[in-house]
Amino acid sequence: MSLLNKRKKPESKTTSGLLDSDKKVLNVIKSKKESAIWLRDLKRDSDLADPIVTKSLKNLITAGLIKEVKHVQFKGRKHYIAAEFEPSQEITGGSWYVDGNLDTAFIEQLKETCLKVIRKLKVATAEGVYDFFKTNRLTNTECTSQQISEILRSMVLDNMIIDVKSTGLAEYHKIPVGQECYRCIAGDKAPITGAMVSIPCGVCPRIRQCTPDGLISPSTCVYFNKWLEF
Amino acid sequence: MGDKEDYNWHYLTQLKMRIHAHQKVCECLLREGTLSLAQVIRFTQLSKQNVTNALLVLVQHNCVQAFTIQLPGGFEEEPKIMTQYMALHTNIIHHMRFPKFLAIVSKEFGEECKEIFEGLLQHGRLSFNQIMDRHKDKHKADITNGENSTAANVLHENFNKLAQAHYIERCPAHEPFLEPPEQGAKKRTSKSKIADAPPTLEARALAAATPMESLRFLVDVDTLSNGALEDDSKNSPATDIVGEKRKHDCLEPETDIWATNKNKEILWRVNFEEFVRRLRQKFCVSHVTTSLDRGAGIVLNAIYEASRKEETKVKMETTVPLTMDTILEETMKSEEGRSLKLDGVKASLVQLGCEVSAIDFDSDTHSIDLKKIIDQAQSQEVESIVLKKYGREAYRIFRALLKHETLYETDKISIDTFVEKKDVLKILLQLLKDDFVQMERLGNEAQKMDILLWKIHKRSLWAQVLDDMYHAALNLKLRLVHELEQAKDILKGKAVGAEVVQKRKRVGEKWKVLESSLMVLDDAIMLFHDF
Ligand code: SF4
Repeated sequence: MSLLNKRKKPESKTTSGLLDSDKKVLNVIKSKKESAIWLRDLKRDSDLADPIVTKSLKNLITAGLIKEVKHVQFKGRKHYIAAEFEPSQEITGGSWYVDGNLDTAFIEQLKETCLKVIRKLKVATAEGVYDFFKTNRLTNTECTSQQISEILRSMVLDNMIIDVKSTGLAEYHKIPVGQECYRCIAGDKAPITGAMVSIPCGVCPRIRQCTPDGLISPSTCVYFNKWLEF
Repeated sequence: MGDKEDYNWHYLTQLKMRIHAHQKVCECLLREGTLSLAQVIRFTQLSKQNVTNALLVLVQHNCVQAFTIQLPGGFEEEPKIMTQYMALHTNIIHHMRFPKFLAIVSKEFGEECKEIFEGLLQHGRLSFNQIMDRHKDKHKADITNGENSTAANVLHENFNKLAQAHYIERCPAHEPFLEPPEQGAKKRTSKSKIADAPPTLEARALAAATPMESLRFLVDVDTLSNGALEDDSKNSPATDIVGEKRKHDCLEPETDIWATNKNKEILWRVNFEEFVRRLRQKFCVSHVTTSLDRGAGIVLNAIYEASRKEETKVKMETTVPLTMDTILEETMKSEEGRSLKLDGVKASLVQLGCEVSAIDFDSDTHSIDLKKIIDQAQSQEVESIVLKKYGREAYRIFRALLKHETLYETDKISIDTFVEKKDVLKILLQLLKDDFVQMERLGNEAQKMDILLWKIHKRSLWAQVLDDMYHAALNLKLRLVHELEQAKDILKGKAVGAEVVQKRKRVGEKWKVLESSLMVLDDAIMLFHDF
């Protein structure tokens, strides 16, 4: 309740026309600050009947005192936050999320551009790629050097590029020895395929149930039939 | 674990059918482990003669090794000497790799060496005279008397080449005698007691049977003449004495079965170990060529060539340290090596993980981390399975986990891999179900829910993948048999006509696909098992 008292003053103007129930709901929402509150918790904490809470929420939204936010982890659950707060990272998912969804289009586009930059530079640090972005105005959207670093690291996981330590020799001569940098995969070849993935059993979901004389067996196997159909 | 053994065993049993020698005995030794003759007879319910013959053939083909141990005597009873037989799992699998071995020899030394080598593969063990006889037999038509001695010289030269390259070796002792373990244990110093667990009986038997390094590849001048060296089992003082003793007073009838040795000629066989080494080298070279570039492959190959005789074991973790001069000299021997020049060689060495300074001193040596190359190739194989089975996002998650090594939190994985949190969890649970990842829970009071932590148990996962490979290989093999069985009539029948020809062609194609897949899969099995 102490929170409520503290905040009373700045609110007095805007809350003047509200019903008691509206105020109660508003206070609960405000008490959660940037963490926002789930509708069910709100109903419990405000101790009001459901239709009243629903009505209050409507009023408060119309008055511009609260807003609804999408929770990145629980998209089906309605969450509310007071207008003066920005939702926390836990709710938005961080800088890569828009409206609670991972901004995959933006990420893919950034990856593509990064790949082109690295191909051009042959080898570059994260900072180097970022500088290239800045001087050449490569994206319409603002992005930070932190974001570029994150993108590059995920590209390593994608096996689109590899991370190496600079040797200071040849093409690394501009990069201090030992500094982490990125380069393209040799010859831009298609990813090397393994031995197991080129045969049906190698990726078969049934392999554990498959036995020489069992119900599922190599001689009756449909995957094999299909594979040897030519 | 039980499953794992099972598939390996199934697979081996299938393979050994290729050398069609006494399936039952081989199967029995593979399943039950090391046994005495009496035990094999009991388990297989075959006659003594049959078992003895089967063992003889299996030894001849290097699938079984015999050794003798001394059993402690009872009250007023003399200690007893008993012969034991152990199946050599790896050697049995090597039988399916003969085409690969043959290709290496043929490429390196040409047709004539290939012929000698082929004989050894077919017969398991041969003396030089036997090889000579085979050769004479084969070329009866095209050799006149006058050419006979030159032919023998050429043959000897080729034989020598194979031995020098370590592609063939003297056969191990037939039945080395192993001292009773108690005695051995007593002799140990207090220091060595703390050291590793004592080697198994089987490992001791193999070590005792192997000829001394100095003799192993020695082609004696006597080989040419008919009077060969003495019994090849006399390769160390210990077995020497035992050998004598065995001959005189404690021979069990079963030790007489080695008819192949009755002329006292030195027997030779293919040295599988050298081929595994060569295949490992070839593998590493081709792996760095694809993952780095051509230059890296050329330089690694040169390093192997320059240190060929110095490698001591198959699973070398690094290459033999060499100076820049030596590496350069060897690289320059080949046409494509010369195109690299000094800078190119240096750059390749750097790519291969060596620290090369601008000024190289004569004393500086370089060696390449082979374990890393092998590790990388193994990871790549597993990753490709994850990619195909579970998709690109799972691939990214899996690679992140492999890189992370320690426990990794779901949220953190989501952030690092750009996969939505709920999707990350879904994928991880799927991977968990199929034993690709492990999970640990951490209670979190504040959030009133458990935090899930993930990691990859590389060792057990790799073992599981290898087991799946054996299983897949077995399946390929079984399918091959099945396809042939199905097509029996078409293949046998004399009927001609467009339709039959077409059908035969299709069977042939299926066979080709299955066979070549099996060979590729076997490369992967070697990568996980032998490299
Ligand atoms: S034989 Fe068929 S069912 Fe059995 S593991 Fe292979 S693909 Fe799967």
